[in-house]
Amino acid sequence: MILYWIGSLIVLLVIVPVVVVLLRGVLQAADGIVPSVQRIAAVAAAGSQDLDAVPLLLTTQEQVKRTVETVADYGGSLNVILDDA
Amino acid sequence: MPAPGIVLAVGVVLIVAAVVYYLVRTIIALRAITKGLDDAIAGVGELIEKSAPVNEVVNTINSHLDVAVGALEGLLVKKAGLRDAVGLIDGLYPGAAADGLRDFPDSKTTTPPRISEVYTRGVLTLARLGREAPIAVVSPEGPVLRHPDRAAAQTRDLYPHERQLRPGNLDRSPVIGSDSPIQYEPAATPGMRLARPAGGGAATAPDPARWAAGGRTSGKARQETTPDQDSQETTPDAD
Repeated sequence: MILYWIGSLIVLLVIVPVVVVLLRGVLQAADGIVPSVQRIAAVAAAGSQDLDAVPLLLTTQEQVKRTVETVADYGGSLNVILDDA
Repeated sequence: MPAPGIVLAVGVVLIVAAVVYYLVRTIIALRAITKGLDDAIAGVGELIEKSAPVNEVVNTINSHLDVAVGALEGLLVKKAGLRDAVGLIDGLYPGAAADGLRDFPDSKTTTPPRISEVYTRGVLTLARLGREAPIAVVSPEGPVLRHPDRAAAQTRDLYPHERQLRPGNLDRSPVIGSDSPIQYEPAATPGMRLARPAGGGAATAPDPARWAAGGRTSGKARQETTPDQDSQETTPDAD
């Protein structure tokens, strides 16, 4: 009978707190991950929006090509006008 | 039911209740994590999708710019020579000559001449204003850089010559006219002057009345300063 009491008290006073502490630690770890994941998702979405201007690079590419052609025309003219060193 | 059995049953119930409570909350947190990761993965997917053509486009732009830079550097070297080209680049952008020109490996070992002393500072300032002008960065709201008098003085200093010095360091111009303090005798013939007296007088005799009567005016020179000359000695001329 005494052993029965001891076993019951151990379950009530030792195992229950241990189980609670362990489960609470798991819950705190899971709760700590949630805001981090939400920030990562927000940053990824913002980064994706920052790249919305990427198609303008095609326009930049075309403008650079035209500018280089113009510079080449000027360079050819200068090559004819100016004497060599 | 014995009392120890009741205590044990209470303990088990408490354990099950704690397990249920915390596991349910953990499941909720994990679902939030899953949703957040899904959003993050979607955003990263968009990043990858949108940035995929960037590399090719930027490489194309860089190739065009490389061709333009190479052509302009070649033209500069062809027209100005390698040494002057390096000097001009270093004059416009101090320290840039150390990088050298792309298609001219010898440019890295070429000592850049001090082009800024050959070209006027105004020329370099105008060139700097075209791009990345340090002086424009320092004082974008400052006064106009081009000042006619200052620019003229700086340009004059580049070519030191006795006629380029300031008027205060030059001999005075001769005062001429009938009221001049030094009267020179008339020349008998153009380009010839009458003989000076034996006493070694300088050149003139300040006697306008005798000069008007036709007499000889040779004598000892007399040089007097006019009031204008006196004021010039005390007041330096402006540049």
